[in-house]
Amino acid sequence: MSRSDVLVDAEWVEAHNGEPGLVLVEVDEDTSAYDKGHIRNAVKIDWKTDLQDPVRRDFVDKDGFAALLSQRGISNDDTVVLYGGNNNWFAAYAYWYFKLYGHQNVKLLDGGRKKWELDSRELVTEVPQRPATSYTAQDQDASIRAFRDEVVAAIGNRNLVDVRSPDEFAGRLLAPAHLPQEQAQRGGHIPTARNVPWSKAADEDGTFKSDDALRTLYGEAGVDFATDTIAYCRIGERSAHTWFVLHELLGQPNVKNYDGSWTEYGSLVGVPIKTGDES
Amino acid sequence: MSTADQATQASGCGAPAGGAPLTDAGNQAVVQGRVTRQGAPVGSGYARLLNGDGEFVAEVPLGEDGGFRFFAAPGTWTLRVLAPGGIRAEQAVAAATGKIANLEVAV
Repeated sequence: MSRSDVLVDAEWVEAHNGEPGLVLVEVDEDTSAYDKGHIRNAVKIDWKTDLQDPVRRDFVDKDGFAALLSQRGISNDDTVVLYGGNNNWFAAYAYWYFKLYGHQNVKLLDGGRKKWELDSRELVTEVPQRPATSYTAQDQDASIRAFRDEVVAAIGNRNLVDVRSPDEFAGRLLAPAHLPQEQAQRGGHIPTARNVPWSKAADEDGTFKSDDALRTLYGEAGVDFATDTIAYCRIGERSAHTWFVLHELLGQPNVKNYDGSWTEYGSLVGVPIKTGDES
Repeated sequence: MSTADQATQASGCGAPAGGAPLTDAGNQAVVQGRVTRQGAPVGSGYARLLNGDGEFVAEVPLGEDGGFRFFAAPGTWTLRVLAPGGIRAEQAVAAATGKIANLEVAV
């Protein structure tokens, strides 16, 4: 796996848009962004209503994911290019989902919606009509998803990477600063976790930093590349972005995303918590 | 229902353009405002909040009225605006619990 296998740039999208076998998908934190304008031929996936179980705290199951992609007109052998706002935050989360359910050919648009918009490229409101398919999803790939017991067992044994902002890591904020400050019962972080805010992996225009710069970033923060890694944030989306960086861009084996993240961990009874800026 | 509950209910975990709706600060330390150019709202662009060390904390797309809103912690923050055409602007802001800090950012 290398950068060119998992990332495309805007020029590539403009050159190939409309070709059979290529599907553009917008996934935004702001779920109304698509309706105001999107890249031509792109379909929309809503990270909340399409990807989350409406009752339990969990993902749509395998059949639900297959039904979603079938309805959107996506086939198993299509190349899916995902993009979204906020440095591809939610697009990276959807990418992780596609991999979780075994989709082979999926990529991110480097810089996402933000760079596309800041570069004043074309956005349209026309919604493409794609005929339905019969998509077949695979069983969840357990090698990329971590659950709470595994996270507690990883304290002191594996890399734990807390990708939230320094203020959330220290316990001064409980949520990202664009959301009301509530959610988990306690603030702080998992002991031994290194704080590498997800946003540091991207430049201000949302494009990913070079492989060398990324290795330096995680290495200097104390991430041991010879050890397995679990990434977490508040609800598992920012850490999907970091999972993408470590596993897909840098080719690190054995990287998992803990999607329960701080809203689960910070509400568990009896687990260790550290506050303040130190790991 | 608290102000924060109302905002959460309205927005889920996502960030609507311009930020979640809010009428008073409640127990939050709110930083909000509007970005204008020659008096007209800048409806396409992004507001980024940086902490006292200059570290990125959060980002929202600007609303159609050029609006943005953050729920910060007490302290000093920097607001940075990015908009198409290479437009950038920056403004320092102090946030306090229970207060709404209102910014008018002209670019």
